[in-house]
Amino acid sequence: MTLTALDWLIIITYLAGCMAAGIWMRRYVRGVEEFAVAGREMNVNLGIASLAATELGLVTIMYTAQLGFEKGLAGASIGVLMAAAFYLVGRTGFIIKPLRTAGVMTIPELFEKRFSVRVRWLAGLFVVLGGLLNMGIFLRLGGEFLVWSTGMPPHWLEWVMTILLGLVLLYTALGGMLSVLVTDYLQFLVMGVGIVVTTVLVLIHAVGFELVATLQAAWAGSAGKKLDAHPFNPFHGSSLGWGYLLWMLVLQIAAATTWQTVISRVLAAKDAGTAQRMYRRTSFYFVGRFLLPGLWGAAAFAYFAQQGGLPEGISSLTAMPHYLGIILPVGFIGLVIAAMLAAEMSTDSGYLLTWATVIYNDLITPCLKNPLSPQGRLLLTRLLVLGIGVFLLFYGLWYELPGNAWDYLAVTGNIYLASVFTLLVAGLYWPRANARGAYAALIMGAIGPVTFLLIGKKFSIPPEVAGFSAFGLAALGMILGSLSVPASTTRPAAS
Amino acid sequence: MKDPFVLFWAALILGSVAWYGFLVFHVGFKAGCDIRDLIRTLRDQQAGDKKS
Repeated sequence: MTLTALDWLIIITYLAGCMAAGIWMRRYVRGVEEFAVAGREMNVNLGIASLAATELGLVTIMYTAQLGFEKGLAGASIGVLMAAAFYLVGRTGFIIKPLRTAGVMTIPELFEKRFSVRVRWLAGLFVVLGGLLNMGIFLRLGGEFLVWSTGMPPHWLEWVMTILLGLVLLYTALGGMLSVLVTDYLQFLVMGVGIVVTTVLVLIHAVGFELVATLQAAWAGSAGKKLDAHPFNPFHGSSLGWGYLLWMLVLQIAAATTWQTVISRVLAAKDAGTAQRMYRRTSFYFVGRFLLPGLWGAAAFAYFAQQGGLPEGISSLTAMPHYLGIILPVGFIGLVIAAMLAAEMSTDSGYLLTWATVIYNDLITPCLKNPLSPQGRLLLTRLLVLGIGVFLLFYGLWYELPGNAWDYLAVTGNIYLASVFTLLVAGLYWPRANARGAYAALIMGAIGPVTFLLIGKKFSIPPEVAGFSAFGLAALGMILGSLSVPASTTRPAAS
Repeated sequence: MKDPFVLFWAALILGSVAWYGFLVFHVGFKAGCDIRDLIRTLRDQQAGDKKS
């Protein structure tokens, strides 16, 4: 596909606008408080735009489209559960209300108040390891989309994504959360328009080849390509199934209350009520986060099924961008690419800032005997943003993982979510919880998923069993560890 | 189209498209106002710092 002058104009205008706005916000950064949590001055609608932009990355679009390609629209059930989890947490204030009221800058900081400085450090390490390894594949998957949707030469991928990361690093390192909020806002607008336009074009195209009938025929085995899962019913045995859906609900509640990039928006909010409103009003957005790219993936499956199968070199992951590259009319591709660049940039900037803040706040600060000057703290956090950018570049883009990246992510994700979620729930709502219980929860939460993943390779243990076990072991560690210490030595609940 | 699941997903797709379209305009306008207020507050704080 060739980009027209109009396409280039849209892309360059978008990039120039983002950079100008991001760099301009630098002037308002006075210290780490502004850099990390925007001086806690964020209001609800800006919070919605920022949360939505950060949590919908190009990597999200790629894997949700892959779910749509492999499981039809039923794959989007995870989005419905995610929306339910966010609404529930926003409605009740579960965890996020006491967390915001505690006035901390990161989740591990709360653990020092509640347990001990060592628990804070260890939890910070878990958060950073899980988060960075999770982020490691963002650039490559984002680049894959650009390669297959625009038809650009595959060897350009590394250079294009390196330049993109360089732009994100520049404004994130200079303006911190203030730049991230303003650029997230612009990216939310561009991304929203791009997603709506793409979905309408896919729907118009899908009418032509009868999407529903083709998916049903593929499920029945009478189309050009067999669909192995029921395309519409998520409870069907061939699809996700009850056990997996229940596990996803628990996982989404844990992610909504524990995932540091989400929580950083809670901590930047003006108050707990603003954070809760932000959650409630953003909740339905997460249905579309899974469903709309899932529709693109399902449409790609139906289209290629009618063509007799996937072209050579195309996989379930790259089928959707290749399909979009075929159906998008000239003139729209610039808008869609700008939207996808927006999705990638908003997620990268939010994640870079979040993990840098945790490293500074929870891994370095507790080890310092003499506190740094305000300028020194700011410089250190900026250097950490740059350092994470360099790590991301080499780990995720230039370095090919020797094994399965998803196995790696499953282990690290479960370690983080299971253990930190348990610490948060116990720390905020169980007065008897203590540091020994916190250590036990962190260690058992880590041992569980690693063991199950290793055994699971031999005995094919379902992911929901492995996932529930990680949460169960972390909870067991917290209960047994806490009860092994006399009640009189326990610190009061943080809230 | 008699399958209730097909109707369910069709309704959610249309709802999502409508919601995304609405958010772009509604949140777009309101969040723009939030940014203006945020910058005003930060500017006032900076002016206060310089005075003190």
